[in-house]
Amino acid sequence: MAEEKKKMSRGDLGLQIIIFGLGFFYAIVYYIAVPGVNLQGVSDELLTYITAVLTAAFAIGVINLTRVHWINIKRKRATWMFSVILLICLYSMLIFSLIASPFALDPNATVIPSSVIQFSTPIWEFLYYKILVNINSSIFSLLAFFIASAAYRAFRARSVEATILLVAGLLVILGQTPIADVIWPGFSAIRDWILAFPNTAGQRGILLAAALGIIVFSVRRLIRYDW
Amino acid sequence: MIELIPGRTSQAVLLIIVLVAIYEASRIASKRKLKTRGIPGLDRIDGWIEEAAKLKRPVFFTPGTGGITDPDTLAGLALLGYIIDHCLEHGAKLIVANSDLQVQQMTEDMVKGAYIKAGKEKEFTADMVRYVSTRQFAYAAGVMGILRREKPAVNFFVGLFQAEALQIAETGRTEALYQFGGTTNTDQLPFFMTTCDQTLIGEELYTAQGYLSSDPDAISKLVGPDAGKILAILLILAGALLLTFGNSFLVYLLGL
Repeated sequence: MAEEKKKMSRGDLGLQIIIFGLGFFYAIVYYIAVPGVNLQGVSDELLTYITAVLTAAFAIGVINLTRVHWINIKRKRATWMFSVILLICLYSMLIFSLIASPFALDPNATVIPSSVIQFSTPIWEFLYYKILVNINSSIFSLLAFFIASAAYRAFRARSVEATILLVAGLLVILGQTPIADVIWPGFSAIRDWILAFPNTAGQRGILLAAALGIIVFSVRRLIRYDW
Repeated sequence: MIELIPGRTSQAVLLIIVLVAIYEASRIASKRKLKTRGIPGLDRIDGWIEEAAKLKRPVFFTPGTGGITDPDTLAGLALLGYIIDHCLEHGAKLIVANSDLQVQQMTEDMVKGAYIKAGKEKEFTADMVRYVSTRQFAYAAGVMGILRREKPAVNFFVGLFQAEALQIAETGRTEALYQFGGTTNTDQLPFFMTTCDQTLIGEELYTAQGYLSSDPDAISKLVGPDAGKILAILLILAGALLLTFGNSFLVYLLGL
């Protein structure tokens, strides 16, 4: 730490002061108010600058993707065909989104001819609604299978803890099914008890410790002091 | 004239008390020789990276879908610093995949900076730190693809994760990788536990850096948050007891 301090240039020091100042400002605005000065407004206004930074960051993302996959294609790596597909998809979606999406650059056809917009709109709609949305849903749906295999692994009674987990898990699953109450009305009550007490207690313990960890971690980062 | 916002005054006072307690506890602990109970798995990181280098397979790291303002992401990046150092030490190739664009920029700086500092600038290539996608499941698909195609030996996924965590973890499990996970998201923690060889649970994520350090001073700094936790537990107990006996003084005090 001391070594780091010695090495810090004037530029770095200035940057650190700005970082600390802004961070401290955001933190303190939550607690204090100055009559006649809209501190919260200033804070909200400053947050809009993040949008500008993010916009620039999007360009960085596109550049990184292009660079990484262009290298793949150039060196004819084993998966270079996927890189070609990715780049075609990336740039075609980018171009059609700029012309025809709800966030199009020129929706009123001031510069871009309306014929081009009319031509591009169904293509963008097809790419977005028929391909992107469906692929997204498909990937999400994979979770069902992943959960099944993870549950199978977790529910193997190899130790006392795993057996407790297995019994608790089975009781909760059983309690969720409509047939459970027909078999024995107590299953729903057991499910509710497991979810409301042992489960909540465990989760709150983790959350409480994590919340304190966040406070310490954030302050440590803010003031660059390692305690 | 500066005024404290009503309803937040006690929060501000409590925050100051907790911070002072944490600082004082760390200061007192720094004067004593302390030993940690350790976090299982942290000591295995070095061995896994060494094995990856011997197998000539890469080491994979992803900080999840969180942004640069998420504490989980920042804690993940702190661990990344440690992983980079050990990859450089053992000569293992590192692959970092990101979902957030600012995190991408930061991780690229971290990895590139470490390679330059170690005099291995020529070994750094653009494809070591990759932006995958800001879309949650496109990111998941991209990471799953990297794990399947490039077959890393170790999969570190430490940071903020949502539903995509299980997809990444199960893919890593199928590929029989060493898996090291960490998050504070209690919805995802059970999945981490079932699929990872080692998991950082909740607060361990923020303290891992201290545990990894052999510096006694860093170890003493772990005591501080424990003091904060003790304070919080005492407050919870006092509140529960007072409310049980029909006294809502503490609730009123904290609502000021």
